[in-house]
Amino acid sequence: MIDPLIWLILLPLAWATLAFLLGPGRGARTAIAGLSLQLWLAFDLAMKIGAGGPALHAVGGWGAPLGIDLAADGLSAVMLLLAQSVALPLALYARAYFAPDKTETRYFWPLIGFLLAGLNALFLSADLFNLYVTLELVGLAAVGLVAAGGGAAQVAAALRYLFAALLGSSMYLLGVALIYGAYGTVSLVTLEPLLTADAPRIVWMAGGLMLAGLLLKTALFPFHYWLPPAHASAPAPVSALLSALVVKASFYLILRLWLGPFAPLVGALAWLPMLLGAGAIFWGSWQAIRTPHLKMLVAWSTVAQLGYLFLIFPLLATTGALQAGVMQAVAHGLAKAAMFMAAGVLIKATGQDMVAGLAGVAQRLPLTLFSFGLAGVTLMGLPPSAGFLAKWLLIEAALAQGYWFIALVALAGGLLAAGYVFRVLRQAFLLAPVAYAIAAVPRTLEWTAFALATASVLLGLRGVELMALLAAGSAP
Amino acid sequence: MKTAAIVIGAAAFAATMIAALLDLPPSAIHLPRLVDANLPVSGVTHPVTAVLLNFRGYDTMLEIGVLLLALLIVLAVGTHDGADAAPTADPMLQTFARLAASLMALVAVYLLWAGARQPGGAFQAGAVLAAAAVLLHLAGVLPAWREPGALLRSGLAAGFLVFLFVAMALLSQGTLLQYPHAAAGSLILLIEFALTISLGLILAGLFLFLSGGQGSDS
Repeated sequence: MIDPLIWLILLPLAWATLAFLLGPGRGARTAIAGLSLQLWLAFDLAMKIGAGGPALHAVGGWGAPLGIDLAADGLSAVMLLLAQSVALPLALYARAYFAPDKTETRYFWPLIGFLLAGLNALFLSADLFNLYVTLELVGLAAVGLVAAGGGAAQVAAALRYLFAALLGSSMYLLGVALIYGAYGTVSLVTLEPLLTADAPRIVWMAGGLMLAGLLLKTALFPFHYWLPPAHASAPAPVSALLSALVVKASFYLILRLWLGPFAPLVGALAWLPMLLGAGAIFWGSWQAIRTPHLKMLVAWSTVAQLGYLFLIFPLLATTGALQAGVMQAVAHGLAKAAMFMAAGVLIKATGQDMVAGLAGVAQRLPLTLFSFGLAGVTLMGLPPSAGFLAKWLLIEAALAQGYWFIALVALAGGLLAAGYVFRVLRQAFLLAPVAYAIAAVPRTLEWTAFALATASVLLGLRGVELMALLAAGSAP
Repeated sequence: MKTAAIVIGAAAFAATMIAALLDLPPSAIHLPRLVDANLPVSGVTHPVTAVLLNFRGYDTMLEIGVLLLALLIVLAVGTHDGADAAPTADPMLQTFARLAASLMALVAVYLLWAGARQPGGAFQAGAVLAAAAVLLHLAGVLPAWREPGALLRSGLAAGFLVFLFVAMALLSQGTLLQYPHAAAGSLILLIEFALTISLGLILAGLFLFLSGGQGSDS
């Protein structure tokens, strides 16, 4: 019998190491085979959880608090599905994107493998310290991917990213140490009944440190300073992976802790993430509308879209709010990966990355522009996309509790998103002669971007299944 | 001004934390007692090794992954292609470095072996091995490392791979990293042995891959 929960962690570790052993630049096929299997495993796990409820695995047979527990519920299953379904098309894309002997690809495949292993392990862990280890795996692999083989600007952006990531995880680790000091355990399951509203002061400090560290890693406004340069200067497949998945990992962890052990403490605190989220939507969108560079635009849009994830925190008393947040994470993951992939095609084809330089490219690269537009539809929240469903759920939850201004922020954010998406589309559809020679790009690049963009729109029609899965495991 | 603000902020933070730590009630769960109670079935007799390799072996496996990953990043960012620094031509220094390095290798083996019963183990042994390599490099005996070949890559990954293989093999019994009671001791020793070599190479690599080309830069 194959336990998908464990193999989702071991498999990427195995193919990452294998790719390293094969040597620089090798391992693409191993990676794609591994990722296909992982996608199947993630579906298998989702089916099992949908049918039988949450799963628990005591590593080493010890069980918490002595050992480490792995746990999967509906939320983990959704995030795992998202990660594998973004990673597989991205791997196909990356294989076609990189010239075989470029320096930046020498250790691309092992790094991707470790990143995926870290993400999967993070979504499955039920132990505060183990979560820290997975955060380090994810953070380091992401920094490595940004830095790999790049010039001075790229390494500088990676270094800034590294400092932000390290500071974030150190704050988280300090919080974990304080929690261990207070309760003598780091297991989420054991902690949950112990942590009550009259917790000692040190627990409040620990919670604050962990939250601040994770917000820094999620790049929530005003902690977003490291994100635009890091995501914009990396190669397109890497940017896609970072924006779609990596920032979601720390968001998932915040959500997990907020709804789990820290639930008795966070009542009054809920407005803070919401306000920061609203700030992120306005500031990120504004910067995206202003920046002259295409990839910078997409990166700033990530800052803005992350804001939506935090609008749900004051509303978490209703189940619709959690659904809205997770739906937004999934919708943005698929759409933003597609958008970065499309941007990568545009940059490769025109040989430059200014929005102004895209004049007229729609005639030459219609499929890519269509993908960019479809991803934009999701980001703006137009029906029938998954982004629409997410905003709908959010607005519904906000109005049900009488917080109409949260609904207003969500609507305004959609308009602003239209502002930066149409900036690109308008330029591309200009009936001007193309300013740059359009180089031929591999078809794989265009079709994988298109597949993800379509998925982000069509998921809106299959939202019910996803919501059912989310509900399957989260019932305490 | 900025420095003063940071110092005051940090001091205030530390003071609040210490104050909060001082009125901490005794914790509800006493893990060291649990560790002691389960020590006889762990396959080793030293509690730290038992926690690292058995009770929380999964954490350690991922941590080795983190270390391998760190080295990967150094390689991915790119090693220097410049000429190596001219070796220090002091025969006295080189002789002593060689002497010290062989002693250090011996110490590493002892640390690895002692880990089952007393403080020590793969991490310490690996660190000593790495220090020996760095010493030899600084004395000009060992040149800086370039792009690793297949053999060096296998050495770097061996510890992690052995750990991963053991984890996969034990899965046939249904649980990740659950050592069968009788084999626990020897499996842990096998993992620790492979880890010592790989950790030594990884830690040495973090220094030796980066130190190439320094001569040509200056």
